[in-house]
Amino acid sequence: MRIKAYLSIFRMRLKQELQYRGAMIGGICCQAFFGLILVALYRALYAGHPQTVPLEATVSYVWLQQAFFRMLGATDNDLADRIRTGDIAYDLARPLNLYGYYYSRVMAQKLTGSLMRAAPMLVFAALLPKGWGISAPASLPALIAGIAALMLGLVVSSAIENLTVGFTMRTLDPRGIQAMLNLLMMILSGSILPLTLFPDAWQRVIALMPHTQMLDAPIRLYTGQRSLSELLQIIGLQIFWAAALLGLGLLLWSRNRKRLTVQGG
Amino acid sequence: MSYIEVENLTKSFTVRKKREKGHLLREKTTVQALKGISLQIEKGDLIGYIGPNGAGKSTTVKILSGILTPDGGRVSVDGRVPWLERKKHVRHIGVVFGQRSQLWWDVPILDSYCLLKDIYRLTDADWKTRLDELTEKLDLGSLLRTPLRQLSLGQRMRAELCGSLLHRPELLFLDEPTIGLDAVSKLALRDFLKEENRKNGTTVLLTTHDMEDVAALCRRVTVIGHGSKLYDGTLNELLARYDTKRTVTARYDGEVSLESLPESCSMSRDGEDWRIVYEPAKVPTPELLSRLQSVGSIRELTAQPQNIDHMIAAMYREMDL
Amino acid sequence: MDTVKLYLHSMGMLLKSHFQYPVSFFMQTAAQLVMEGGEFMALLLIVDRFDHLNQWTPGNLYFFFGLMAVSFYLTEIFGRGITGNFPYLVRSGQLDTILLRPRGVLTQVLCSATDPRRITCIAVGVAALVMGSLQSPVHWSFLKALALTESICMSMILLLGLFMIEAVFCIFSVKSVELVNALTYGGRSACEYPVDIYPRPLRILFSAVAPFALTMHVPAAYILDKPLYGWPVWTVFVTPLAGLAVFAVMYRVFRLAMRHYRSTGS
Repeated sequence: MRIKAYLSIFRMRLKQELQYRGAMIGGICCQAFFGLILVALYRALYAGHPQTVPLEATVSYVWLQQAFFRMLGATDNDLADRIRTGDIAYDLARPLNLYGYYYSRVMAQKLTGSLMRAAPMLVFAALLPKGWGISAPASLPALIAGIAALMLGLVVSSAIENLTVGFTMRTLDPRGIQAMLNLLMMILSGSILPLTLFPDAWQRVIALMPHTQMLDAPIRLYTGQRSLSELLQIIGLQIFWAAALLGLGLLLWSRNRKRLTVQGG
Repeated sequence: MSYIEVENLTKSFTVRKKREKGHLLREKTTVQALKGISLQIEKGDLIGYIGPNGAGKSTTVKILSGILTPDGGRVSVDGRVPWLERKKHVRHIGVVFGQRSQLWWDVPILDSYCLLKDIYRLTDADWKTRLDELTEKLDLGSLLRTPLRQLSLGQRMRAELCGSLLHRPELLFLDEPTIGLDAVSKLALRDFLKEENRKNGTTVLLTTHDMEDVAALCRRVTVIGHGSKLYDGTLNELLARYDTKRTVTARYDGEVSLESLPESCSMSRDGEDWRIVYEPAKVPTPELLSRLQSVGSIRELTAQPQNIDHMIAAMYREMDL
Repeated sequence: MDTVKLYLHSMGMLLKSHFQYPVSFFMQTAAQLVMEGGEFMALLLIVDRFDHLNQWTPGNLYFFFGLMAVSFYLTEIFGRGITGNFPYLVRSGQLDTILLRPRGVLTQVLCSATDPRRITCIAVGVAALVMGSLQSPVHWSFLKALALTESICMSMILLLGLFMIEAVFCIFSVKSVELVNALTYGGRSACEYPVDIYPRPLRILFSAVAPFALTMHVPAAYILDKPLYGWPVWTVFVTPLAGLAVFAVMYRVFRLAMRHYRSTGS
């Protein structure tokens, strides 16, 4: 019943994403270039100073980050615009839960955005010479565990984004708060610097944060830096954060709905 | 030679079609926006440039104002070729796009006018007198210190006009200037434009869908469609061609039957009112009236003026636009 | 002269517009600080783990980072019309308005936007430069100061030239603008580090196509007393002119492209 409506929103968004092929191809090339630069940098850094984390793992980390980069940021500017222009009135008039409505949109955007980019990016990274490209997963179970964790990561990531949007709905110009939250996301998810290269003491704390559940945990499973014996612990933490963030988001959005000032007109 | 000479102007755009299934690349098609338009406009003319959406009106205006380079043809505005001598040309023209703003959104409109002074290199004295004149005529005095974003649509359009006229252009292009305006603002705007044209001899080219604007302002109209010129002459002559039908509404005492009217008349009934549409060329008005009277006793009779929009729609239909 | 006046006048109005929303403006400026601070933190963490990069000490690395940050964000402040606003000008039809005015197109594009929020990024960049200069340590002289100034100016002009590629793409309504980001933002990320750590193809790219190596790294090597590949000192003042060359080429291309501008909407 309701689920069907959310599914069709999801499909709509998928189609919309598929429209921009040109931009996507350009984006992939750009992303691949960034990946190459980062790999070159880490290779130069490792050359003078070997680390406990092997170079191959860091390089794989970089490529997986580049491939699934769309899962993290990509704030839905559309919604911010709709709030500013007052178009949100249309959405409020729909017989759907606003949170669910946007959650399916955001999730579709993240899923298609990353899937369409990840496949060519990973093929590219796999074709690169050894030491430059992505290494094979630690084991087949590690790969499967990584994919499972990535799916849960998507749930967490969409929940974080919706929470961010929920906060930004409270201000008329959300750009400031958006930038802050995005930065937090960039640092804590390992986009600026692989989390494996953070000081070891920091890593223990950061590993508990919601942001690491999105991409860092799946990548570490893939490269074998976290063993399968920790799988239950990892997935448990992911589910905990998913539930907590979804709950918080729902609460925030239902409060927002009451006080949402419809602008413009 | 006329003030504006346009000869055989052509312009086409390549449009990329949506990618079809099974094709790797999108196909491109060429759309001929202008297929050899010729025009002459004299200094001081007030011309209505009309045509349905996508006819090529904006393309013409954009070429005449130096924004676009045409594919072929010759244009001369007061001896200048707009796209070759852009900077020299635009100093003498003013353009108002009804749906776009040239003023700054967040700062008082006076600040925008100050910047325009620098852009057009106007002297302080010249700028001041012109601004005073325009603010008085456009009734902007109390609004000068208000940011554009706080103005109503009508106020905004007046502010835009003022901005476009500060440098005393000899030629003014107006693209849908009255779109979305209320009746009072529309009338005020028309009066202002008439006056500007009469007093300063400003040549005005008005593109619009609002036929009342054209009727109120323009001595001459040019109709274009599918990139070609279809008509050039006075509005009255144009309307006369399509103004072939008349409508009268009659109300009778008691029930009547109008079956005896000639076949070329069409009629419909709305409550007590009979609506009769006839062509005076086929059924002369006196004849129709006497027939109407012969059926029963008329309590009320109204003749409606022909709606100008209907005439234009009929014209577009006939021209297959 | 009166072009400069127009530019300053426009900048003044833009600042006024930005300050119409003071709370949001300060929030965003603070956000920029945190953002660039985050980037710098990443460098500090890298230094913490790896200590040095080939022949370059941590102080050297801070200096390179600061040089790029200062050049890049100064360009964003003074050249925002090209570095960020141009696609909007095309889409919104404001480029039409620009063409309707008796001034140069590029002048007016530059007058159309500024990004004063970046001031905090520049502060981070200056801090990095100072840190780098103290830790390296740099023995300042008049010539070195001159080399630094020229380096920053030429890098800014180079960046403007590179961003003009995006503008040209926009004029032809090519959608894959992100490809150009590889040169601009990619160049920024890559050339925050000395170019000699990269493999040959990247070195060639950043010396010949997007010559940050010539506008930044050669003068920086001189300032940091590193060997100049055996080149004489005067080359330090010549190589940055590559930025001007890129700009000149792109300016020609931009002018040519504007002839094919097709405007939007009806």
